[in-house]
Amino acid sequence: MDVYEKLKVLADSAKFDVSCTSSGVARRNNGRVGSAVDAGVCHTWTADGRCVSLLKVLFSNDCCYDCQYCVNRRTADCVRATFEPDELAGLTIEFYRRNYIEGLFLSSAVIRSPDGTAEKILECLRTLRKKYGFAGYIHAKILPQVSPELIYAIGLEADRLSINAEFPTMKGFRLLTPQKDPQNVFEPMRQITNQLIEHKALKGPGLMFKGQDLNNADNYLSASSPQIRTIRRNIDAKIAEKSAADEILSGDAVKTKKPETSRDLIRTEEPVQTGYTAVGSRRNRKEIFAPAGQSTQMIIGAAGETDRQVLAATEKIYRTFKMKRVYFSAYVPVVSSPLLPDVFSAPPLGREHRLYQADWLLRFYGFDADEIVGEDHPFLDMDLDPKISWALRNMQIFPIEVNTATMDELLRIPGVGNLSALRIVRQRKYKSVTYEDLKKIGVVLKRAKHFLTCSGKFYGDRRMDPEVIRGDVLQMKDGEQMSMFSSGRTGAPELQDGAETGPRIRIANPSSRINIRKEAATK
Amino acid sequence: MTDYLYDGTFEGLLTCIYEHYYSGRADGIFRQDEYQRSLLCDCCVVETNPVKARKVYEAIECKISPFDLRRMYRAFRSCVEGRETMILKYAVLGFRVGSRISSLHGEQAVYDVQQAENKVATEIDKFRGIVRFSVLGDGEKKIYYAPVEPDNDMIEFIAEHFSNRFRDQAFVIHDLKRAKAVISARGEWYISDFEKEKLPPLDPDEEKFRELWRLYFDTIAIRERTNPKCQAHFLPKRYRNYLTEMNDTGR
Repeated sequence: MDVYEKLKVLADSAKFDVSCTSSGVARRNNGRVGSAVDAGVCHTWTADGRCVSLLKVLFSNDCCYDCQYCVNRRTADCVRATFEPDELAGLTIEFYRRNYIEGLFLSSAVIRSPDGTAEKILECLRTLRKKYGFAGYIHAKILPQVSPELIYAIGLEADRLSINAEFPTMKGFRLLTPQKDPQNVFEPMRQITNQLIEHKALKGPGLMFKGQDLNNADNYLSASSPQIRTIRRNIDAKIAEKSAADEILSGDAVKTKKPETSRDLIRTEEPVQTGYTAVGSRRNRKEIFAPAGQSTQMIIGAAGETDRQVLAATEKIYRTFKMKRVYFSAYVPVVSSPLLPDVFSAPPLGREHRLYQADWLLRFYGFDADEIVGEDHPFLDMDLDPKISWALRNMQIFPIEVNTATMDELLRIPGVGNLSALRIVRQRKYKSVTYEDLKKIGVVLKRAKHFLTCSGKFYGDRRMDPEVIRGDVLQMKDGEQMSMFSSGRTGAPELQDGAETGPRIRIANPSSRINIRKEAATK
Repeated sequence: MTDYLYDGTFEGLLTCIYEHYYSGRADGIFRQDEYQRSLLCDCCVVETNPVKARKVYEAIECKISPFDLRRMYRAFRSCVEGRETMILKYAVLGFRVGSRISSLHGEQAVYDVQQAENKVATEIDKFRGIVRFSVLGDGEKKIYYAPVEPDNDMIEFIAEHFSNRFRDQAFVIHDLKRAKAVISARGEWYISDFEKEKLPPLDPDEEKFRELWRLYFDTIAIRERTNPKCQAHFLPKRYRNYLTEMNDTGR
């Protein structure tokens, strides 16, 4: 099999891995070739509009597992291919030198055993770093059940590590990945978080832990720490019906508690040094082990989970493991199985988009998952972004005065982002912010005008009625003629019906449609 | 009403700002070679003077801030029409209010320069990704050559990034629109006029890697999610001329 065919097969198999970012670490060229940019660099955009940053391939697609949703499952009839470590390293370098890519994203099917596969991956990464002197970005996928020593060794080469959480609910996990044990997913996550703390390199997601030093014993996750126990309890109980997210939600609010075990316990778990130094041997102390942290991904729309379950699991992962990102992947029906959505159903792209917006609210805007999706509204509104949906449910706190509000309050205003909030705070030190200024600052007034005042003056709809604002915002967003007058009078049901006749509406999950209706009806 | 005309260099623009204060108010600053005379305005050509330019340069750095100096320079490199006049207004306001100017987001002068700077900044980010090198030359001497056509005159801002990253390769980033290039080797770089004629032929292996890259690019897209509008949003058509993955042939 020549390199063309291998690349085709192994890139095709990797395309459903979502994460392709090259962000999280800034590094000058400390090898022969390569560097890393903190914000990451996108090199091109494919026909589906996704950015290509890294050369994203599987090392092999010759899998011994039989996960139902996966194209590479053992029982699938497809071409199998495996790279040679040096072959892939050489290809990466040639692509990199032409500036096609920002680095390598290497995942793999489990060839015979997880450790055997991880060793191959490690060999490839070492070739890249040592033989070719590559100082660019590497994202390595950790397979479940890989031994801690190998995870550590891979972390010494890679910038970012990730383990797929696969499903936000335990039910989905058990149903669709019969040979994997959820514990094997959480255990490496815990190890990576701990190791980052040891290297004083744990930064946390977005602005969630801004200004806090996470690198202390309090954040250490021992095997018996409360967070892990919650997850483990789910696993031990083997509750097939109840989801992990539900279990997590039923417990106390997520708090970081001091682990009960001493550090000695963890010390014993610490893997052996491999005695190998990377080309980046001048990496400073904080950059030794996976300096760009870890991430994970979940498949959306394959196992009938609610947005509430997805976001609760996401928040839990952020608070517990403090990992940089959780990615969502709209399930693309590639496989025909009685357990999965129909092969002809469209991937829930709209839902994925809204979930990412909600994810941003968690990481950068100080929202809790419970605020975004509650028990009475377990799905996100497909027509409006989650922030304005939240605002419409909480009209009592609006309008907010931009000249006196705190940064946190400003961030709650729909249409005000992190940059515009910062600019408001900066300007008002010298000069009060007027309504005209807001536009220049970058505030989206179409949405924001209903939720703020400038020096006491309000510019939105005086009725402050959520339904009126909803109609107003939707009308402008989609160019659909909806008289503000009629929408204000007739209220939700008619607005909903009117909206559904329009061409734009796309509700990915039939159950979410029902829930939106229910929600509207209860209002 | 008086318009000042300058020679197109940053020093020329700074000299105009100097003259605005010392020999009479300028209502606008324009490039001499692009200026269209109107009936209402007088105009006078300002001779670029390095001493005066340096004075203004240092005044901006000290009395406003280095941040604002950088911002003005980037805005100057943008393709925004009337940028020189915007920069003049920014400087005038800056000399009045000092370093707080960059916080006064409501001011039109600040907004305009910020927008112009932003155009350049966006393009810098974009071009870190979409510059495509081809390997030229046969045998020992290999040159990495990348043609680009950015909207703004910004290749100098990406030079350091590439020259550090590709420290061990000799490369040329050629701005075809402006007939100039970043030329770099061993981690050092300079800007120079450049013509395409000087180039050696393609490396024999080059086509193979282009083909592999195209193959990868086509394979990685998920067919069920095809979304050309989204693609065009991130990658406008005007940037696609020299992208290996978008073109089957040619340099």
